[in-house]
Amino acid sequence: MKKKLVSLLLVVVMVLSLVACGKDADTSSNSGKTNNNGGNTGKTTDDNGKFVLNVCIASEPETIDPSLISSVDASTYTQHQFEGLMKYAPTTEYADESGQMFGSEVICGQAKSYDVSEDMCEYVFHLRDDIYWSDGVEVTAKDFVYSWRRIVDPATASDYGYILDNIVLNAAAIQAGEKSKEELGIEAIDDKTLKITLEAPCAYFISLCGFASLMPLREDVVEGNENWTDPSSIVVNGPYIIKEWVHDSYILMEKNEKYYDLEKLGPDQIKWGLSDSETAIISAYQSGEYDFIESFPSDMIEDLKASGDCFTDPYIGTYYLYLNCKEIPDWRVRAAMAISVDRENIVNNVTQGGQVPATGVVAQGILDSTGKDFSEGVSELGALYATLQKNYPQYDLSTYAGRCDLAKALYKEAVDDGSWDPNTTVVYNFNTSEAHKAVAEACGSDWQTVLGLNITLQNQEWNTYTNGLGEHKFGVARLGWIADYNDALTYLELFMTGNSYNYGLYSDSKYDSLCAQAKASAAGSDRDALLYAAEEAMFGEGGFPVCPIYYYTRSYCIADGINNVFQTSLGYYFFMFAKLGN
Amino acid sequence: MLWYIFKRLLASIGTLLVVLAITFFLMNAVPGSPFLTEKSTPEQIALANAKYGLDKPLIVQFKNYLVTYAKGDLGVSLKMQEGTPVTDILFHQGKFQLSIRLGLIALCVAIVIGIPLGCVAAYNRGTWIDGFLRVLTTIGVAIPTFVLATLLLVTFAVNHNFLPTISGSLDSFKAYVMPIISLSFYYTCYLAKLTRTSMLDAINQDYIRTAKAKGVKTRSIVIKHALRNSLIPVITYIGPVIAGIITGSFVVESTFSIPGLGKYFVQSVLCRDYTVIMATTFILSALVIFMNLVVDIAYKIVDPRITLSSRED
Repeated sequence: MKKKLVSLLLVVVMVLSLVACGKDADTSSNSGKTNNNGGNTGKTTDDNGKFVLNVCIASEPETIDPSLISSVDASTYTQHQFEGLMKYAPTTEYADESGQMFGSEVICGQAKSYDVSEDMCEYVFHLRDDIYWSDGVEVTAKDFVYSWRRIVDPATASDYGYILDNIVLNAAAIQAGEKSKEELGIEAIDDKTLKITLEAPCAYFISLCGFASLMPLREDVVEGNENWTDPSSIVVNGPYIIKEWVHDSYILMEKNEKYYDLEKLGPDQIKWGLSDSETAIISAYQSGEYDFIESFPSDMIEDLKASGDCFTDPYIGTYYLYLNCKEIPDWRVRAAMAISVDRENIVNNVTQGGQVPATGVVAQGILDSTGKDFSEGVSELGALYATLQKNYPQYDLSTYAGRCDLAKALYKEAVDDGSWDPNTTVVYNFNTSEAHKAVAEACGSDWQTVLGLNITLQNQEWNTYTNGLGEHKFGVARLGWIADYNDALTYLELFMTGNSYNYGLYSDSKYDSLCAQAKASAAGSDRDALLYAAEEAMFGEGGFPVCPIYYYTRSYCIADGINNVFQTSLGYYFFMFAKLGN
Repeated sequence: MLWYIFKRLLASIGTLLVVLAITFFLMNAVPGSPFLTEKSTPEQIALANAKYGLDKPLIVQFKNYLVTYAKGDLGVSLKMQEGTPVTDILFHQGKFQLSIRLGLIALCVAIVIGIPLGCVAAYNRGTWIDGFLRVLTTIGVAIPTFVLATLLLVTFAVNHNFLPTISGSLDSFKAYVMPIISLSFYYTCYLAKLTRTSMLDAINQDYIRTAKAKGVKTRSIVIKHALRNSLIPVITYIGPVIAGIITGSFVVESTFSIPGLGKYFVQSVLCRDYTVIMATTFILSALVIFMNLVVDIAYKIVDPRITLSSRED
């Protein structure tokens, strides 16, 4: 018996040894031993006095390949490692009340200048002479040609494969498999000159050239190496380069010694913590292990603001509800639902994150050609109420009480003429989240109280939920849309007939025509008028495919002593010029 | 014994095939796709499906899984680390080793503390020690892991800074402390309760009475006679717990930012990362089957009266 016990003991020891061996393999494959205290280096300096910035903006990214990324966090990592023809740079104006965060503007990046043809359809970019990849090879126009072709190539199956559709010549046809990628309207005239041909003038093309998916890539690095984004293989042209990636734990970046603006860079290292646990993230921030976070339990926001840790800045996004035009066919019912939601109550008592009540579907922060905020352009009331106010002047839509009165009247009209059965139960779908559930309960309560509408709330996990959206299996369904670029079309084209995101099946020929005309027009007052008219049409008779709830804001915590961080309202934070000291 | 092990291993292959088939067809029956995002279009999803062979009939896809598995290839991740081989994710990135390490240490702690506590409680039945341990173990079984983990995190990491909030890859002693306590507390208490109950059963048996009549010391009776027989139900429990403690460490791994398998397994289901779901299910099933075999052998060692197969008769 003793022999058997000893044998069993040996088996246990062997298993433990194997586990220990496995651990060694792990650390060696990641080119170094993990920092054993998870970055708890006090405030931003390591044992060698290096400036190490500890940041956590999200969990493990799906990929950091610029052609394949689709999330804001992956785009942020990309923006720190690569640089496009244009780039984001800090402005001198603070973005918020923290005094530590600056706003940004789009300026020339790898391009030193560009020329535009008279018809606004041909751009010639002249590249800088001092731009190199991290392995010392010069950046050329061919690197841009390769990466732009790669993203529209159907074989790449990029989430952002559509980003150049109807903008750069033949992009949509290539995505559809009708043309070869070599026919894309991009051409290297010589090593330092790049010509891009557009299908029609595009008001936001220059800012699009700073988009994370459109960074240059080296063909000889990418092709034939599926793991080219590993720290051991990656070659970059931006300010930082990944040195270590412990999956689901952290990404460590160091300065790229070949970057032309090396002298201006701030942190010696940026360590990106990868976590999705809000409790873990806020705990790590509070114990000094993170210097910057943007994810924490929403019920802590008020306390964090009071302690001077948390700040809120604008974020171009709209939280809205699709109102299914097939399930709720009468526009008056949809309009009644859209205007009877108490948005002030939702942002003040439900979400409590500084969000702004929405008055249209185009997010706050989207500008027209004169620099005016689009959400304020249609009327003081906003696009959501403007047309109704014109048609029903006897109601004061500037107050919630007035909106409820009109909602009741419109709903009654629809019921009285038999086009809506008041006993109908509308199904409201939302994906699993306490925040979405709270918004759904608030909206459902408003509709029940003001209109007497029966609502069933249906919670679904994310994948089932998005699948149901595509199959239009809902009465009401939530979604949030963050702008890809600063133009009203990024929102308005979602509701054009046949658009993949038109989950509510809205179809209006006038609306489609206005959007199509705006798409083919150069920036200017005529185009602005078309876009404003389109949003008005959406919220007029026959419309209301959507019920905007609020405009997003972002809250973040930043440690004392970290300065010169900057951001864009499209969702990216930039830490390359961060400095220490107050 | 060897013949028995050989037969069990053969049967395991069949069991694994059934598990893989059920997992494959169930996960494909659930709506969704690894490529669904807020901004993905049907055209992009179709392109991605074609890229990874998800446009083929299900039976062909399943056959492809089996063929690649037979070659030792678990495929590439479709979503969570798109394009990265699953073997790299699970083994070279150390997720499997990390979870096994965490789970085995937690289990060892539970065994080393839980079983003696159960013995002490049974040995002192009816005294204040027994009462105290019963209350403690009942609380331990009732407290959800996430409550305990958060409590430890706030107390020892945030408020007092004794321990790191991010345990990461568990490269220091301090990094182990809170995850191990959180993960092992429930099992320690449950094992203590289980041991106490079976020990009390054993103490009332005739052979214990005989030993007492012969004048054997109480301590010897408990350790040499009662404990050994009372371990059978404990061993039965420990086997399946090993797989559970690895996949069940999701909460602990999330709370302490540990990049382990438990967290990955749950996320892969939510993301519909089919290849990762299949691979993790395959590995965990193999582990459960193996542990059940080990448990059966352990029965024989603890109680020689137990027969493993007809041949042994």
